[in-house]
Amino acid sequence: MDPVNDMLLRQTRRAFFKRSGLAAGRIALASLMFPEWFHARAAATPRARTHPPLPGLPHFAPKARHLIYLFMNGAPSQIDLWDYKPGLAARYDSDLPDSIRQGQRLTTMTSGQKRFPIAPSIYQFAPHGECGTMVSELLPHTAQIVDELAVVRSVYTEAINHDPASTFILTGNQIPGKPSIGAWLSYGLGSEAENLPAFVVMTPRWSAKRDAQALYQRLWGAGFLPSKHQGVALRANGDPVLFLNNPPGVDPAVRRTMLDGLSKLNEAALYQSGDPEIQTRIAQYEMAFRMQTSIPDLTDISGEPKSVLDLYGPEVTQPGTFAASALLARRLIERGVRVVQLLHREWDHHGDLPRDLPLQCRDVDQACRGLILDLKQRGLLDETLVVWGGEFGRTVYCQGELSRTNYGRDHHPRCYTMWMAGGGVRGGVVYGETDDFSYNIVRDPVHIRDLNATLLHLMGIDHHRLTYNFQGLDQRLTGTEEANPVRGILA
Amino acid sequence: MTKDALPARRHIPPPRRGSGRFARRNRILACPSLGWLAGVLLAASPALAGDAPALPERVQFNQHIRPVLSDNCFTCHGLDANKRKAGLRLDTAEGATAVHDGRQAVKAASLADSDLWRRINASDPAVHMPPRDSGKQLKPEQIALLGRWIEQGAVYQKHWAFEPPVHSGPPPIRQADWPRNDLDRFILATLESKQLKPSPEAPKETLIRRVTFDLTGLPPTLEEVDAFLADTRPDAYERVVDRLLTSPRYGEQMARCWLDVTRYGDTHGLHLDNERAMWPYRDWVVSAFNQNLPYDQFIIWQLAGDLLPQPTREQLVASGFNRCNVSTSEGGAIDEEFQVRYAVDRVETSSTAFMGLTMGCAVCHDHKLDPISQKEFYQVFSIFNNIAENAMDGNALLPPPTLKLPSPQQTQQLEEFDGRLAQLDRRLHEMVAKLDYHDPALATNAPKTEPKEMVWVDDDFPAGADVQINPGNAPYQWIRRDAGPVLSGERALRRTGKGLHQVFFTVKDAPVVVAAGDRLFANVYLDPQDPPRAVMLQFHVDGWSRRANWGDPDAIAYGQKGTVEKVQMGPLPQTGKWVRLEVDVARLELRPDTKIAGLAFTQFDGTAFWDQAGRVSVNDPATDPAWSFAAWAKLEREAGDGAALPGAIKELLKTDPAKRSDAEQQKLREHYLLAAYDDPQSGLAPLRAELKSVRAQREALDQAIPATLISKELDQPRPAWVLIRGQYDKHGELVGPGVPAILPPLPPGEVTNRLTFAKWLVKPQHPLTARVTVNRFWQQFFGTGIVKTAEDFGTRGEWPSHPELLDWLATDFVASGWETKRFVRLLVTSATYRQDSRVTPELARLDPENRLLARGPRYRLDAEALRDSALFLGGLLNFEMGGHAVRSYQPSGIWEAVGYTTSNTAKYVQDHGDALYRRSLYLFWKRTAAPPEMTTFDAPSREQCRVRRERTNTPLQALLTMNDVTYFEAARQLGYRMLHNGGKSDGDRLRYGFRLVTARPPGSEECAVLAQNLAAERTLFAANPEAARQAVSVGEFKVPDDVPADELAAYTMVANLLLNLDEVLTKN
Repeated sequence: MDPVNDMLLRQTRRAFFKRSGLAAGRIALASLMFPEWFHARAAATPRARTHPPLPGLPHFAPKARHLIYLFMNGAPSQIDLWDYKPGLAARYDSDLPDSIRQGQRLTTMTSGQKRFPIAPSIYQFAPHGECGTMVSELLPHTAQIVDELAVVRSVYTEAINHDPASTFILTGNQIPGKPSIGAWLSYGLGSEAENLPAFVVMTPRWSAKRDAQALYQRLWGAGFLPSKHQGVALRANGDPVLFLNNPPGVDPAVRRTMLDGLSKLNEAALYQSGDPEIQTRIAQYEMAFRMQTSIPDLTDISGEPKSVLDLYGPEVTQPGTFAASALLARRLIERGVRVVQLLHREWDHHGDLPRDLPLQCRDVDQACRGLILDLKQRGLLDETLVVWGGEFGRTVYCQGELSRTNYGRDHHPRCYTMWMAGGGVRGGVVYGETDDFSYNIVRDPVHIRDLNATLLHLMGIDHHRLTYNFQGLDQRLTGTEEANPVRGILA
Repeated sequence: MTKDALPARRHIPPPRRGSGRFARRNRILACPSLGWLAGVLLAASPALAGDAPALPERVQFNQHIRPVLSDNCFTCHGLDANKRKAGLRLDTAEGATAVHDGRQAVKAASLADSDLWRRINASDPAVHMPPRDSGKQLKPEQIALLGRWIEQGAVYQKHWAFEPPVHSGPPPIRQADWPRNDLDRFILATLESKQLKPSPEAPKETLIRRVTFDLTGLPPTLEEVDAFLADTRPDAYERVVDRLLTSPRYGEQMARCWLDVTRYGDTHGLHLDNERAMWPYRDWVVSAFNQNLPYDQFIIWQLAGDLLPQPTREQLVASGFNRCNVSTSEGGAIDEEFQVRYAVDRVETSSTAFMGLTMGCAVCHDHKLDPISQKEFYQVFSIFNNIAENAMDGNALLPPPTLKLPSPQQTQQLEEFDGRLAQLDRRLHEMVAKLDYHDPALATNAPKTEPKEMVWVDDDFPAGADVQINPGNAPYQWIRRDAGPVLSGERALRRTGKGLHQVFFTVKDAPVVVAAGDRLFANVYLDPQDPPRAVMLQFHVDGWSRRANWGDPDAIAYGQKGTVEKVQMGPLPQTGKWVRLEVDVARLELRPDTKIAGLAFTQFDGTAFWDQAGRVSVNDPATDPAWSFAAWAKLEREAGDGAALPGAIKELLKTDPAKRSDAEQQKLREHYLLAAYDDPQSGLAPLRAELKSVRAQREALDQAIPATLISKELDQPRPAWVLIRGQYDKHGELVGPGVPAILPPLPPGEVTNRLTFAKWLVKPQHPLTARVTVNRFWQQFFGTGIVKTAEDFGTRGEWPSHPELLDWLATDFVASGWETKRFVRLLVTSATYRQDSRVTPELARLDPENRLLARGPRYRLDAEALRDSALFLGGLLNFEMGGHAVRSYQPSGIWEAVGYTTSNTAKYVQDHGDALYRRSLYLFWKRTAAPPEMTTFDAPSREQCRVRRERTNTPLQALLTMNDVTYFEAARQLGYRMLHNGGKSDGDRLRYGFRLVTARPPGSEECAVLAQNLAAERTLFAANPEAARQAVSVGEFKVPDDVPADELAAYTMVANLLLNLDEVLTKN
């Protein structure tokens, strides 16, 4: 039986016109009509969804159904935040030993330096939680939730500059054109949100007083996947979603009137031409109308109790801050959104690190804790994977002038720290180890491909098998080289 | 499954899951994703639902088997020798039939002796192929196909796309009155073989709308529709087509599609993503299509226009094709790495655009699926590796090589300026020749002039100074005589602290400008009870880059010792008394005219008092370069390569004065007098000022002349190596230019470069170029290519829906001299194109993607056509062609959300007036944040080559066309047109509007819906005049004031509805 044509055959012209105006009825029908319907049936999902998963997905029972990715663009200094190296204090201003540097590639920003003087962190570290993980004084709030975190100190990449490195970790390739992680998950797993996009992106503002490294829409783009999988920006200014608001003077009744007429005429056209795409279009206009309500409802936080707002810190009520975005992230996944990504900029501290890093940490620290605790108290942490980190690490040696109070650090791809929490992640662990200089990995290296394989694994996906044929190749997020989920941090 | 359990010979096993269920599943699954299989299924009688799918009588390797093996097996058993498992190769007959341990993977006509058959049917996971962890799984029908193929002898074929196209006559058909040209006969023959009939011709209104959109990207006007309806001549339609082909809009439409392929954008695309000027190239593409430049030339000019003999301006501009790739200047990026990336991008783009080959797969290793080795990739790479560009683009608007494009008028103006400059220069030389110059430095008894002091700081910082201390430092104090030592005036500055501490200021206006011989000074009094370890004066030039230190040279950590960043002046000054600290500007390498914009008093530990700081000028003609040749020569010699002098003069200055010839000395002296000697008595200054002013005017004119990035070949080619695993710094074998062996060889010649390559591409025997080109045109007009994977004609690409037709079109195109307009005309005048697009239930089931073309094309318009047609229907469209890109309405914050803060595209500054209504082709394309009006409708980001767009259908699109300012303002203007031009009654006006947007009259029920809708909106707005006023005020175009706002608002909403009709968003 072919439902498309069955429907068409059964419908009479009269029936089309009669049904119009009843949005719910149209949606039920429309949900049958999406192109993915074919896949949905094949996968025998219990209920036709507007955005169902691919057949056969998830590959196995997922530990997490949602992903919140807190991306610190610019590369936070692991040495000043997570990778405690007490031995460095005694080596202040001494040269980085060649045995450590191993002649490895430097950026041209420091490759001309005559020496590579060691800059120990000026920040105090202390053990926290039952696990005793060492955390810098710059992250006093995050430090309180270390028992929830798997801190991976041995992440590495090959890219050495921001543009290729951010593109690499978030799309699996240094060269533009590949789909982002969120787009892959939207494509593979679909969405449980009826009235919201599957993949939502926010770019909160930052406090460091310097020029911010660029972002690129490709970091949440769909690459060669259909563009409906690209991340939808949720904005703090203007329309929260592009073009969401009716023009001035057009109230919901005016819009509804227009849509009713539109639906009637489009249904007549469907009858005339028989093109099932028209049915999809009718449904998308109704979805658009519902988004006009669901998104303001999403961003209206007036119903949040003070106890919840307090968790995220004082900036939570200022739209566009990291704290406000973190709260929205929770509200989004609560509504079934598959992936939420926050991209916080300007962690690129080549100089004056002591001036800027504390400001950046203050932006995110309390909100990270708030988000984890809030998810936990709602029982959402078990099904939500939270990831924190940047595109590479920073050097132990100083870029520019070193003093007891001031220093800068260059890019360092060979090791850095990220953390994960929530669905399927073992809390209170530290995974991987670097040498005394936080320069090379000495135990359990985690390539960013492994990291991405881990994310997919926790979401119920075998990264080998989430593929899309493009330009003759079965494209994967993890590319063609070997990648393995990091078993050591799995619960 | 053991050998014993193998199915008996000549028996195709039933599908494992039960045939009935399998067949149903299959029918559903096959349609959307497995085009080739759809072909297989359609070959069977469609009426017999529920039967097992019929296998083709004769299984063809190319059509049926290669796709299965390529998808499932070649990754491990294909071309890439490094990744080959068990030494087994299935992409060649030799490999597949080779004997391993006494067994063969494929033994012709014997399933029982074919290991492949055993493996794909095995139930033991250890034996089963493909392995489970590969994520691959053969479908039952694929297994059946493989079985029959082996039984039929397992015959291999060369991949079709690597064989030259064969021109065969059109096939016989039954319905002889249907075809309008030979193309139709191919389509009809396939339809007839499947017992299908073509659809009737589309109504005339549909037809003219379809073809007008396809050839111009815009809908027809009502006048054009009426003229066509009234034209009863048999060739009325062809006349429309011919009219459209001569419209300048045709070139814009064709160019628009090509710019996705060339990855055209208005910014660099990486990191800073600054603006860059490529738009003359974009305009050239438009004109190339309008002038019907033969397509082989179109290819050659773009790939190698610069290498043609005496290239024309157009040919050079066209060669910008190679420069459209994204580029970077990110601090820290490594030249060689990006040089490699750019060349790789050029190979990938050219191979995708012209050959439909995925050569990029061979960057790191041999191509796994197609016969392209890694070495062959780098041979092509070596051809594209020689463009004379810098790896770092400098974030510049015009990173070289570039070409200036002056208008004739500008050329003339430049010549005029040059004439004036020559004249002024001549006069200057004449004056200098008459000078009687004596160097004051050589005068023996010239009186010394008195030094003059300029005091910068005394009693306070200079007016308007921005004064700061380091974070954490104790504040400074201005103290009077009763509180401590003061040298001059009322107050002195007291600083006390631990470690490094300082007070510093910078000024915006009135910096101190230094002259030769100047000395900088400050007075300091060190507290004997608490002396600092060191004191330092720092001067702000370009940053705090000049420092003079007294006392412990290691105490204050700033600057590198032994450079001007930290000049050690001497021991700590004596304590308990005022000491004047002085430093020569020469010591700090401060050249004359350098501006000092700030001063810092820096200490390590201790207490100090600072007073009276400034500059002493000597003003001695003997040491002043403005008066003394010797002083000038000394100064410029010290500046070395940094001196702003002509190269020859600079070289001369480097020589020992004693060893210079008289002529050389004279030359230097003459240069001095012409350029630097500045005695007011000489009268040189006004002449020099005029020269300077004319030069500045010429420069301004020169800056205003547009320019574009072009290609230019290096004199010496860069060496190219096979790069191991694609890494730029891992050199393997050195390679020269070449092409994959599977393709025809390059013609022999003295040099092999881009021109050789381009000419090779368009040779008639090249199997790919013409096929790929006509396929893309086909895709443009019919929605899907004959080869659906327009980007991939390799073994993994999709089997052509009409292979013979593709060859016929390709050979015909070449034989016609690659004439594009003729070819486009052939497509759009065919009976195939002119069919009605109505989908019958039968066709929806049998051919959901319309690959067989038993009906006309029907699909959503592209982003550009949507926006342009809304503007056009609102009467707003500005037809101006070409030029600098425009910035139309865009929601706030799109660029700001991503832009590097110092990028010149960090902030979006919208244009106003006519620029808002230009065609979408001219919208400014920032590649890291492309226009949302375009990308929401599937336009690619233009970061890399794309030959095909998806066509999605999303709620975000609905929001855009309902609410975007462009669309809503267009709706108001359309509403106004309806009110103004549509007649007197609502009914007439609604009919008029409906016809404008669809080209056809509305049916009676459609009229009723619109009338009802208008009435409802009218009631709502009548009750809310303020809302009506707001609704009609959207956008910057003048709001019509001759219609009541509520009436206009109601019509605006109806027009908004009309512009959102599926039929209006769709090419029907």
